[in-house]
Amino acid sequence: MNTDSTTAALAADAQLIQAIRAGDERALSQLYRLHWPMVSHFVLQNSGSEDDARDVYQEGVMVFYEKVREGSLELSCQIKTYLYAVCRRLWLKRLTTKSRLHGVRLLDEEEYGPYLNTGAEEDLQEAEERDRRFATMSEALTHLGEPCRSLLEGFYLLEKSMLDLTAEHGYTNADTAKTQKYKCLTRLKKLFFASYKEA
Amino acid sequence: MQTEADYYALFEAYQRGELAAGARANLEARLGAEPRLQQLYAEFGELTGTLAAYGERRRTRQTIADLHTAMLAAEATPVFEEKQAGGLSYSVNPRLSLSRTEQKLREFWSGHRATVGVAASVAILAVFSTLLGLEWWRAAKTQPSLYGYTVLRREVERIKQNQQALRRSINSSASISAAGPVNNGKFSGTGFALTAEGYIVTSSHVIQGADSLLIEGRDHQRYHAETVYSDVKHDLAILRIKDRKFSGFGRLPYTFKGGQADLGERVYTLGYPREDVVYGEGALSSRSGFNGDTAFYQVSIPVNPGNSGGPLLDGQGNLIGVVSGRQDDAQSAAFATKSSYLMRLVDSLKNRQPAQPYHLPRANQLAGAARSQQVKRLQDFVFVVKVYEQD
Repeated sequence: MNTDSTTAALAADAQLIQAIRAGDERALSQLYRLHWPMVSHFVLQNSGSEDDARDVYQEGVMVFYEKVREGSLELSCQIKTYLYAVCRRLWLKRLTTKSRLHGVRLLDEEEYGPYLNTGAEEDLQEAEERDRRFATMSEALTHLGEPCRSLLEGFYLLEKSMLDLTAEHGYTNADTAKTQKYKCLTRLKKLFFASYKEA
Repeated sequence: MQTEADYYALFEAYQRGELAAGARANLEARLGAEPRLQQLYAEFGELTGTLAAYGERRRTRQTIADLHTAMLAAEATPVFEEKQAGGLSYSVNPRLSLSRTEQKLREFWSGHRATVGVAASVAILAVFSTLLGLEWWRAAKTQPSLYGYTVLRREVERIKQNQQALRRSINSSASISAAGPVNNGKFSGTGFALTAEGYIVTSSHVIQGADSLLIEGRDHQRYHAETVYSDVKHDLAILRIKDRKFSGFGRLPYTFKGGQADLGERVYTLGYPREDVVYGEGALSSRSGFNGDTAFYQVSIPVNPGNSGGPLLDGQGNLIGVVSGRQDDAQSAAFATKSSYLMRLVDSLKNRQPAQPYHLPRANQLAGAARSQQVKRLQDFVFVVKVYEQD
């Protein structure tokens, strides 16, 4: 790979990242389509199915996307290499747990060689930590029970207005609903922190 | 006294900037002074922050899943590369276009190739072990009962090597056969003179399927012969030399025994299991043959393919039998047709107005001679019977 084409690719990457950070859905779609063949080929080569490839790739794109939206992505290589590194890592992990083989060896493409120093490792650890937090939250919400769960989910997750929720749950006015919401929050707090801290 | 829920309401209003200036300043002051309240506020922040991020994550996941579906849909209906947003230009990786079926097959193969490999190996192993097992079983189980009796005609092909080495010398000394290349016999056995005029006895299985027969003596004299009579049941055959030049064997030194020989009698035979004449001796061990066949003797002489049709003589030089076969699963159990059956056969042939009369030898010249002397006299009357089959 010569320097000119690398520079050009990096410039295109920078443009793409900017567009995605700005919330351009078409840019994300383009990125998604661009690198899918690479990852799907990699997973299929390493005894995965089409569905495995999809799961791994979506997870990888998610990590990338969240970093971009946060603005905390420090890219020292091309997006292609970064995504390859992330997906490779993810697939290796799944393969190890799935097959219980310690000596899983992956067939790598030479083209994406320098995947070891892409910063993907730390980003993935961060993403895992976040995943754990979300999993705990999801569990806490499940244990919360109705109507607290749908009230909180409606407000925070689905971003519905207080008025809509009042009507939906049959509260007499918005203030009752709000009071109820705060009470629910205190219960959620206990559930969430109890299991999150202990884990 | 404010409850936790009340504080939450307060915090939310504070974050949204809905509090009046006085209330905000009051809250900020309390947050600075009271660690209890500070912690409550931090927890509230973390909780709502996590909730919001979780919602965001769920939306992102949905978006990306939609992207995948859209991508697959776009693949299914091929459209031209659309103009990319924001002036982005990018070369799309070349992608192998595969049919739906092939894609499925490839997926299956890459996912299951190890399993398929193992299954194939197992199948191959099973097939071959079954075949080998059957072969082994057949060899071990059925052969003794069916083929326990081995006729001793010799397959010449098997020892082609030896014969090729010998062919030249045979050719040079052959006085009768034509000068052209000699077609070696397919099978060979042993035969011996019945009368001085050119009748020869051998086993019927030796000449079975014969197209032409060649008699070859110890001195490599060759004669063409024809079958006069063949008795398959008693494994006997009588041949006659049909060469014009043939002038007779001379006086036969042995006589034919009409009755039965005794158990334990010392017997011997001469034969051609190899290119050279081979002597074998033993005792008469039974007066019946394979499966109790009374037309045969059982003798304890080691015999080999090629011995068939050889003469079996007792110590006095009386011919008592014709070597026929051996039992595979028994140690040195050979069988020979009793000479009385041969006599009966000759008697019946005499009445058929043969081309040449049968003059069986009457005087035994071997009686009383040492074994080696007997053999010396005898070997001139023992021949190789070569059988040529039609190709």
